Amino acid sequence: MSIHIEKLNYVYQSGTPFSHRALTDVSLDIADNTYTAIIGHTGSGKSTLLQHLNGLLKPTSGSLTVENNKITAETKNKELNDLRRHVGFVFQFPEAQLFEETVLKDIAFAPKNFGKSDEEAEQIAVKMAKLVGLPDSVLQKSPFELSGGQMRRVAIAGVLAMEPQILVLDEPTAGLDPKGRLEMMEMFDRLHKEQHLTIILVTHQMNDVANYADHVIVMEKGRVIADSQPAEIFSDPEWLKAHHLGLPQTTAFAAKLQQQGVPFKTLPLTEAQLAAQLADMMNEQGGGLRG
Amino acid sequence: MDKMLLGRYINGDSLIHRMDPRAKLFLSFYFIVIVFLCNNWQTYVLMAALVLLFIKLSDISLGFFIKGVRPLIWLILFTVLLQIFFSSGGNVYWQWGPFTVTDRGLLNAVFVFCRFVLIIFMSTLLTLTTTPIEISDGLESLLKPLTKIKVPVYEIALMLSIALRFVPTLMDETTKIMNAQRARGVNFGEGSLIKQIKSVIPLLIPLFVSSFNRAEDLATAMEARGYHGGEGRTKYRKQEWKQNDTIGVILFIVLTAALIFLRS
Repeated sequence: MSIHIEKLNYVYQSGTPFSHRALTDVSLDIADNTYTAIIGHTGSGKSTLLQHLNGLLKPTSGSLTVENNKITAETKNKELNDLRRHVGFVFQFPEAQLFEETVLKDIAFAPKNFGKSDEEAEQIAVKMAKLVGLPDSVLQKSPFELSGGQMRRVAIAGVLAMEPQILVLDEPTAGLDPKGRLEMMEMFDRLHKEQHLTIILVTHQMNDVANYADHVIVMEKGRVIADSQPAEIFSDPEWLKAHHLGLPQTTAFAAKLQQQGVPFKTLPLTEAQLAAQLADMMNEQGGGLRG
Repeated sequence: MDKMLLGRYINGDSLIHRMDPRAKLFLSFYFIVIVFLCNNWQTYVLMAALVLLFIKLSDISLGFFIKGVRPLIWLILFTVLLQIFFSSGGNVYWQWGPFTVTDRGLLNAVFVFCRFVLIIFMSTLLTLTTTPIEISDGLESLLKPLTKIKVPVYEIALMLSIALRFVPTLMDETTKIMNAQRARGVNFGEGSLIKQIKSVIPLLIPLFVSSFNRAEDLATAMEARGYHGGEGRTKYRKQEWKQNDTIGVILFIVLTAALIFLRS
């Protein structure tokens, strides 16, 4: 499913002295089956933009089109339900949304809401629990007995159980340990590659952007200030610095090497790319020495 | 959720903002008492004029005060309708079974409406011009004499300030969890009554869980920083009784005398 946003503006509490403009003239396209990362400072409007994607907020002006659903300021709340069915939304610290008596029931909550029968919903729940790596032994436990990392998996399984075509992730790994973080990012990557989910990820982790995304949107003060590929965004450390954004570890390392005189053609984004470029250079040099 | 005005402070530096919170608290309560002295047009006009004067002095637009009435509008309308249909005495305009509309009933309804609006305006004025922390500090110092008879005033004030402090936090949390459950297909405020009641469960349980967690964290944080009850605790904010406050109190004494004189 593709997303098309045109001239979208959003003002919080418009018409009161607390009114506050969060998004200004946002226009962008997200193609089907892509992995988009949205980066930017706290308060740059990322979360507000995300909430438009499944109709939690309606634009103050402008429009948003998800496949054939066009959402404008005039769209009725009832019509948003159809949109929500297709867009799964994993909020920051999603474990806060757990409430059922058992893990299984909690995961089955969304499919039931969207009209699946109890048995169908439970079948989906069992499947999704497996997909996020929850052991069978926890399914009948209360979600509140689990560890933080497992609670998060339950919450994510609960969103995946809607079987969405678009998955929106708002800092899904915040507060997890490094191992949990890696496992979770690998899981999303698998979902993207195997189930062909369109993924939209908000993150502060430049490493994740470099490793997984194929499309990057940079936001600042409610505007989109860059919209391109990771390789292009990270090729300009000066620009990133000017906008208070960092480089992925590998790219930062390569940039330092470049200052020392190592001639990279393009700055590598991932460890694999770095290793490949270094190997190439060594081969060339080695060839030169031998000759 | 955003439209709730109770407990919402608007920053400013007006005459009313600068008043001692103790004076504001005391006079607001006192105002609610003397509103009940009003029983004819003259007294209500006098009170309304005074409230409008205070609103003018506070530099906050009247729109805010009118919005403050909105959450209570059903309660007000209900009371007003009771007055219209169930008062007796005076000229009867209309009668049907137990319902009677009389001229006195109509007049009473108007007065009840005015009374509600005046009280709401005045308490909105207090919360718009006084920070929650000032309110609870003020209350603590007003209630201090009660410590003599073993009323836990410090604890009450602390509970009040914590409660006020967490209103916005809880509201944020509510919005967040509502959004998360909406994204999972819950429709709040739609469908049959049973359905609506059921839709509250996925909201309330997470809210309770997070409130308990938060309370525990807060208690730990307070103890870690050496909190051990109110006895002997010093205050960061000093409250100063100024000339304006005395003028305010005198104004209210004069007002009370005028009301007693004008009421019929």
